Amino acid sequence: MSLKSERRGIHVDQSDLLCKKGCGYYGNPTWQGFCSKCWREEYQKGRQKQIQEDRELAERLQREEEEAYASSQGAQGTQPSLTFSKFEEKKTNEKTRKVTTVKKFFSASSRTVPKKENQETKAPSPSINRQVSIETEQVSKEFIEFLKPCQKAGHDVYKQCKICLEAMQQKREASIEEQSEYVQDFYHNTAEKLQLRWKMPSEKVEDVMDHIEKFIMTRSYKHVFCPETTDDEKKDLTVQRRIRALHWVTSQMLCVPVNEDIPEVSDMVVKAITDIIEMDSKRVPRDKLACITRCSKHIFNAIKITKNEPASADDFLPTLIYIVLKANPPRLQSNIQYITRFCNPSRLMTGEDGYYFTNLCCAMAFIEKLDAQSLNLSQEEFDRYMSGQSSPKKQDAENWPPDACLGVKQMYKNLDLLSQLNERQERIVHEARKLEKDLIDWTDGVTKEVQDIVEKYPLDIKPKPQPLAAIDSENVENDKLPPPLQPQVYAG
Amino acid sequence: MAAGGGGTGTNKTYSFKVVLLGEGCVGKTSLVLRYCENKFNDKHITTLQASFLTKKLNIGGKRVNLAIWDTAGQERFHALGPIYYRDSNGAILVYDITDEDSFQKVKNWVKELRKMLGNEISLCIVGNKIDLEKDRHVSVQETETYAESVGAKHYHTSAKQNKGIEELFLDLCKRMIENAQADERAKGNGSSQSATARRGVQIIDDEAQVQSSGGCCTSG
Ligand SMILES: Nc1nc2c(ncn2[C@@H]2O[C@H](COP(=O)(O)OP(=O)(O)OP(=O)(O)O)[C@@H](O)[C@H]2O)c(=O)[nH]1
Ligand SMILES: [Mg+2]
Ligand SMILES: [Zn+2]
Repeated sequence: MSLKSERRGIHVDQSDLLCKKGCGYYGNPTWQGFCSKCWREEYQKGRQKQIQEDRELAERLQREEEEAYASSQGAQGTQPSLTFSKFEEKKTNEKTRKVTTVKKFFSASSRTVPKKENQETKAPSPSINRQVSIETEQVSKEFIEFLKPCQKAGHDVYKQCKICLEAMQQKREASIEEQSEYVQDFYHNTAEKLQLRWKMPSEKVEDVMDHIEKFIMTRSYKHVFCPETTDDEKKDLTVQRRIRALHWVTSQMLCVPVNEDIPEVSDMVVKAITDIIEMDSKRVPRDKLACITRCSKHIFNAIKITKNEPASADDFLPTLIYIVLKANPPRLQSNIQYITRFCNPSRLMTGEDGYYFTNLCCAMAFIEKLDAQSLNLSQEEFDRYMSGQSSPKKQDAENWPPDACLGVKQMYKNLDLLSQLNERQERIVHEARKLEKDLIDWTDGVTKEVQDIVEKYPLDIKPKPQPLAAIDSENVENDKLPPPLQPQVYAG
Repeated sequence: MAAGGGGTGTNKTYSFKVVLLGEGCVGKTSLVLRYCENKFNDKHITTLQASFLTKKLNIGGKRVNLAIWDTAGQERFHALGPIYYRDSNGAILVYDITDEDSFQKVKNWVKELRKMLGNEISLCIVGNKIDLEKDRHVSVQETETYAESVGAKHYHTSAKQNKGIEELFLDLCKRMIENAQADERAKGNGSSQSATARRGVQIIDDEAQVQSSGGCCTSG
């Protein structure tokens, strides 16, 4: 439950979200800041020509592709990679250039992954070319196997996919928006065709579309992820630096409803961080989405354990922001762009994955625009933390660099605990001494008081007055009684 | 057009995205938990989260998959609204009948939604917590007149007493189906040119469509 006192004004300037053409609608980064309408106008002419060319290309390739499919069905799918060998040659130059930039990017700015397992799944590595071709071949095989039971429809889908890939190859120099538009149109038309022409039930269509996405995007990934024609890479670095500069942000400032002192919760937090970092290693948009969804599920678990009630958006978004800040996921901007451009749209629009993805987009937008007000800090405080002049008073080892080793963190946490214990021990000893002194003082005090009183009122016992004996003398019969006891004085 | 992912058969399944908007603490989460889980302030709720919930309905033989998106209500996240409600078919704008301010917020949201999504989106304005009628600070007359003036429908609900919630969602679904059907018709008979009417937030150029605004939305 959010507290009213924490609510502040609008921190993202609305004009940043409007269409660049100034038509009053909202723009979208995917459309280079235009709204969908203006963007469409901008690109319509170029596209028209392109569509015509695609059609001609498609016709030319049709026979060739049918043959390829026929022979691949006989030979268990070894053929497709052959069909593509000619492309592999053509793009060699381009590829080597690209790989070096990717490597450079990674050595300069990549951060260490907290868990070892992640290292293995990390895609970018010097041997990427080899791995990719094996993986690509595997995906092709699986795709053909998957399509076989669909018979005629399967044959058609395969053919269309090859045409799509050829067209993508032709478009390599075109803008990324154009390539995205082409793939999105392809998804849309294929889904429609499966439903209308091949009368597939909608669940089956979804399934086929997932496989199509996997097939197309495994092959296109290299060329359309963080393409050189865009400034995605530059933006990635900006975001990464921004997150690093915000290392001092605590979970309290964001009102994150997660208590990391509970071991199960901190476990979930680590898992969520691992998931979001892993996203970068996947090539298929849907697999990337799956990482975001897993991350979100871990966040929900952490909230559920802490609060014992289902998480609402007001719990979830701040926690996701916190996780993104802690994880500093590699190439965040590029991954978001890539998913937006090349994911099957039905998933992004209404599905559960789409919801979590949208929240990730929100988290990034929030982080980019984050200011003093959004953390309930004064401008001076914010500036001091930003410039590193001081850091917020930390409860625990809160402002570690994001890549600090977990063991070391734990060690420092333990040291911290030990020094706290030591402090308490000293306090106890001190108190004990004080108690001892108090006791002594008290005895002394009592003794002194007693002495004073004794001095003031000395114990003075006087001898028994005589007249008492005369009372007895009046009794005559008393002669027979033993003599009365004489009072005796005892020395004190 | 965002509905259903194509196909014009009678037995198609509609997929609708509905966003929940409104100030913090007006009862957004409570409403949706009541609708999808029939629970209120229940410590034994088994759902892991209440931020994204789905419900399958069958309305007059039409299958509907409803996806309900909770949005972060804190003021510091206000500006992220457009990212959330992009591509949504319906919006439920909730205010608390005991809180005048929360109704003002609803008005702001309406303005923003109409500006960005035009009349394609079905709007529901919801006065929640009617079990607290004695503390009402928002006039019924005012809200209903306002709703009509912006082509939205107005509902009164209580998540606590489970009042008016089924009606709200059922009504909204019917209106979204109508919108989707009108959209299909507008798209024309040829589904071959499809590519131009596909993606993201669509601005319908058809003048007639735009001008029929308030009327068509309130008639649901
Ligand atoms: N009396 C009454 N209380 C309600 C009703 N609906 C919700 N509440 C209470 O209002 C408070 C806020 O409800 P939430 O559902 O968390 O509100 P929200 O709009 O999701 O708030 P944020 O997540 O902070 O944006 C809770 O204490 C609920 O118990 C209702 O119909 N009647
Ligand atoms: Mg809520
Ligand atoms: Zn525009």
